[in-house]
Amino acid sequence: MERALKIIAGILPLIFAFAFLVPVIDQGMAAIGIAAPFGLASLTFALIVGGTWGLIATITGRWI
Amino acid sequence: MGIDRYDHGALDMNAHSAILPDDLSQLSDAELRRLELKIARKHSGMFPWGAVVWAFANMAVWLSLWPLVFTGLMPLWVAFPIACANMALVYLPTHEAQHDIIARPGTKLRWLNELVGHSTSWMIVYPFEVLRVTHLDHHRHTNDPELDVDITVNAPGPWHALWGIIAQRQPRAKRNRDYAAALTRAGRTDLIVLSLAYKLGHIAILSALAWNGYALEALFLWWLPYQIAITYIIFFLSWAPHHPGAEQGRYRNTRSWRSKLGNIGSMGMQFHIVHHLHPYIPLYRTPMAYWEMRPILEARGCRIEEL
Repeated sequence: MERALKIIAGILPLIFAFAFLVPVIDQGMAAIGIAAPFGLASLTFALIVGGTWGLIATITGRWI
Repeated sequence: MGIDRYDHGALDMNAHSAILPDDLSQLSDAELRRLELKIARKHSGMFPWGAVVWAFANMAVWLSLWPLVFTGLMPLWVAFPIACANMALVYLPTHEAQHDIIARPGTKLRWLNELVGHSTSWMIVYPFEVLRVTHLDHHRHTNDPELDVDITVNAPGPWHALWGIIAQRQPRAKRNRDYAAALTRAGRTDLIVLSLAYKLGHIAILSALAWNGYALEALFLWWLPYQIAITYIIFFLSWAPHHPGAEQGRYRNTRSWRSKLGNIGSMGMQFHIVHHLHPYIPLYRTPMAYWEMRPILEARGCRIEEL
């Protein structure tokens, strides 16, 4: 139980990234009219940026 | 010198208390303590209706923002600052409930005390019992480098403090471990699990909104207001009244101070010293208690600063 909780707590940034950060980036870009670079769909771009940021936060323990 | 001669019963809220003699220098510790308690009792025991109304009105306003924004009746940019104010206003009524100020255990309105705590603290993503257990631990161990759950807020100045408060909300920050340690010391490891459940529940709600096309509404009505408010709350409730947080002991671990934002803007924390000495005094009575108690605090060598 304790181990499971530690694992969940440990990957919380990654969960947050895919659950919330990705759609925020995607819809935020649409709201201010910014297109994704390299011809990517904005959701694809959001998945790359949000997912990477969440992964870094999970590994380092810091968002900023 | 006896002290009974100064017992004049109920008083007006004058700056100079009729409970106190003009010269406190000849009084013993016990006599000072007795006078201090007399003043504290005078300002406690009343039912803080304001805190109860505040708690539920604040929650109602915040909840009403959602349908207003979703239906287009209120622009998100108007709702955002209101949501920030709502989030900042959540904590103090729960704080009254943490200290049983609304109703003590075993009293008729105890349910209301618990209702205020439990039904509003979820807005700032904390179980009420976690707030209560860790905050009471902070009172027991104020400024103890090992045991004070709020010790990580210490910083040399306000800008360092603001950055530190943000830094200590990062996933692997020491503050998280300090809170978990306090809950463990209290034998309430169940609350660590509950805290995690609250965080997951928060993410689940944000996620459901976001993936259904309401990401910006979730961002500006809850997530960002929460982040701004929790920074503001920790700054004014933890850093400012304890700064520099170097001393321990009943009369030296906090202070009175003058905020550039005034007493309301600093959420009543200019008189935090009274709260630490007598945490059963309702928030709205701490200024009056402070001014009446001030000569005793001076005689005790308290940190009376600019106020």
